[in-house]
Amino acid sequence: MRTARDMGLVGCTRCMQVAPMGTPVCPRCGSLLHSRDPFSLQKVWAWWILGLGCYIPANIYPMLETRTLVSTQSDTIVGGAVTLAQHGNWGVALIILVASVVIPVAKFLALAGLAIGVWRGSNMPEGRQHLLYEVVEYIGRWSMIDVFVVAILSSLVQLQALATITPGRASLFFALSVIFTMLSAQSFDSRMIWDNARRSEPKEDIRP
Amino acid sequence: MTQDDMPPPEPPVKLAGRSLLERVSVIWLAPLAALVVVIGVAWQTYADRGPLIEIAFENASGVRPGTTELRYRDVTVGLVEDVSFAQGLGRVLVKVRVDQEVAPYIDGDAQFWVVRPEVSARGVSGLGTVLSGVYIEGLWDGTPGEALGRFDGLPDAPLDRVGQNGLRLILRATGKASLVEGAPIVYRGIEVGRIGTPTITADGSSAQAEALIFAPHDRLINSATRFWDTSGFSFSLGPGGAQLDVSSVAALVSGGVTFETMISGGGPAQPGGLYTVFPEESAARASLFAGDDSEILTLSAVFEDNIAGLSVDAPVELNGLRIGRVTTLNGLVDHERFGDGRVRLLVNLAIRPGRLGLKGGAGRESALAFLRESVATGLRARLASASLLTGGLKVELIELADAPPAEIEPFGEGGLLIPTTESEIADVSATAEGVFERINALPIEAVMEEAIALMQNANALISSSETRAVPGNVNDLLQDARGVVGAPEVQALPGRLDEVLTEIETLVTQIAQEALAAKLSAALSDASAAAQGVSDSVIGVPELVARMDAVAQRAEAVEIETMAAKMTALIDTTETLLAGEDAQALPGTLNTALEELSTVLAQLREGGVVQNATEALGSARDAADTFAAAGRDLPGLVAEAQAVLAQARVTLAGYAAENGVGRDARGALREVERAAKAVSSLARAIERNPNSLLLGR
Repeated sequence: MRTARDMGLVGCTRCMQVAPMGTPVCPRCGSLLHSRDPFSLQKVWAWWILGLGCYIPANIYPMLETRTLVSTQSDTIVGGAVTLAQHGNWGVALIILVASVVIPVAKFLALAGLAIGVWRGSNMPEGRQHLLYEVVEYIGRWSMIDVFVVAILSSLVQLQALATITPGRASLFFALSVIFTMLSAQSFDSRMIWDNARRSEPKEDIRP
Repeated sequence: MTQDDMPPPEPPVKLAGRSLLERVSVIWLAPLAALVVVIGVAWQTYADRGPLIEIAFENASGVRPGTTELRYRDVTVGLVEDVSFAQGLGRVLVKVRVDQEVAPYIDGDAQFWVVRPEVSARGVSGLGTVLSGVYIEGLWDGTPGEALGRFDGLPDAPLDRVGQNGLRLILRATGKASLVEGAPIVYRGIEVGRIGTPTITADGSSAQAEALIFAPHDRLINSATRFWDTSGFSFSLGPGGAQLDVSSVAALVSGGVTFETMISGGGPAQPGGLYTVFPEESAARASLFAGDDSEILTLSAVFEDNIAGLSVDAPVELNGLRIGRVTTLNGLVDHERFGDGRVRLLVNLAIRPGRLGLKGGAGRESALAFLRESVATGLRARLASASLLTGGLKVELIELADAPPAEIEPFGEGGLLIPTTESEIADVSATAEGVFERINALPIEAVMEEAIALMQNANALISSSETRAVPGNVNDLLQDARGVVGAPEVQALPGRLDEVLTEIETLVTQIAQEALAAKLSAALSDASAAAQGVSDSVIGVPELVARMDAVAQRAEAVEIETMAAKMTALIDTTETLLAGEDAQALPGTLNTALEELSTVLAQLREGGVVQNATEALGSARDAADTFAAAGRDLPGLVAEAQAVLAQARVTLAGYAAENGVGRDARGALREVERAAKAVSSLARAIERNPNSLLLGR
């Protein structure tokens, strides 16, 4: 398998323009050109750690505070899902659980796995790793669905004394966590997956 | 192209010299900054964290850790962190994290209570807690003090809320006055204070509560102030008309107290001073002049007799003066004390020392000392009748001269037992029963029947036409009588009598003047001769006297008198007839009798008595004239009479000695005199009282 680097080319990650290796700036869109981002893994890990750090309080603090005339209720993410499940709303509970727990956790695991795989080498085929990365990057933004629900509810349900829904502290942390993991995923230079594949193969002289 | 063939030299310096910035991405600053922020926030939180205080509550309903707030002046200054139990599960420990800045002020005088929604007659309070949940309100002053870790929470809000400082008093309710927690103290319609939680005093006789008079109204209170209960309403009916007093709706429902300083000269009020709450204003006013009734000496008495009729509130009297009342009545079975299992009557007496009027003050001690002394000299308690009608009993303290020695003994727990004596209960019920029986036995029905019959008879009598005619007849009769009396002859009668008397007087004078003595002498010689004859015929004199007597009697019994007597008899008969059984027939008879009477009177008027009397008087005058004529011949006789007089005197002396003719003659003369008097008195009577002719009196 030949990569652009093998062919002495560098591709722009922004506009996909291919330029000869050593071109510092994309001749079409003007963004910096790197054959491989040297700080990619550092960025991934930095955002990953931040995301994970935010994910912990996002699960400890209440996501949603519901004040009605007679009671005040504040639910964490998991607690809210459990409450919904207890009330029989299995579908909604499942959606919340998937969007707020399964996806972020899977994302953390996937990103960590990819980063470790790039760093140490992986047994997973390159194609599948890339697919995994694509899925992570694509699906990660859907975790924001919980934040959107909270934002919509708290802006809609403001009936003064009767019923008020305010976002809990967890919603901020959760949003930050999603943002950080998205940044983390974006920082991952997926081209490095293929470098690993080459490392495991017998070295080929890149020079003609 | 040597240069082209030569491999480029390795730049080791450049490799080794790659700076940290070049090897490490700046992106690491982001988690680093986050870490710094987190540490900073954590440190800040920790540094700003206030102390944890513990508040022990009896009941912490609604207090939830992490939610319930501690507030001061309605501003949150702390948060409950933990709710747990004190050792022994006796109380609830609430751990509150207090804000750093207020922590120094929470010292020994801090008070805490749980604010809950409350709906009462005075309004709704703590409504906010319905929605937000309860909170703990704290109250402390504005000066920092030594911090305490542990506090005791109050069960209810204290009297002095923030900004309501004032005078604290203790109010004690007497009688029917009531103290209600949180009730207002009202002065002239303004709420100037509040009553705290009432408690029962140790002796159980009254209730007392702390009260707070808010500043600046506390200056209204001094030692002469009297409090009274204004709860409910009072209705009074008196000379001033009907009066209905309702102070306020809140007071009506939940009670209230008001006060007034009725007399001047009271000293300043002491904080914590004890004041009595009277049931009504009049009682409060009366208390100014009576002793304080609030202090009570409780005595017990055990009566052998288990007698119904004694009730709670029955009076306790000492020599007829009410000094207290019965508070409780119980049965008592005490084998050890009395030696048998009989049920005795245990009575608790509340004596008011103020009523005893002791010199040494109205204290309980002095009253007890007085009673001890009195019991030693024979004072005993006994049951006595209080009311004859209801059969109610009272307790009487009475001095018995021959009482066996006894004293006031301790009884039960802190009680005192006053010795008793036999009850004196008038068996009123039996007496009353006897009275009722006698009333019952009276023949009321028979009497009633007779009365009814009598009334029916009277009714028939009155309604009969004859009876109706009576008044008219009586009227006629009276008119006739008036005609008789008014007749000129009757009117002239006194004049005639006067004339007669004058003539008699003239006659006597003539006799005296014409020197009868000389003329008499001749006559007396005859008389002297006759005296012998008289002396012989002295036996015939009594007959003469008797005749004269008869004449006098007849003169006395003139026709008018007889007629008056008859009329009297007639009227008597009429009365008898009226009283008689066949009174029905009376009117007819009466009518007839009246008609006859009328006729008699008419006859009288027409030519009866008066003319006869006139004629009789005329005859008497003629007789007098004749006598006078005869008298003229007498002077000759007088000389003879004088000669004879000696003889006659002797003879008469003999007569006198014999008490014969002289006495009779004197008697005859007296009779004549009496007859004349009778005539004169009759004439006077008729003159004075003409209707005596009718009435016979």
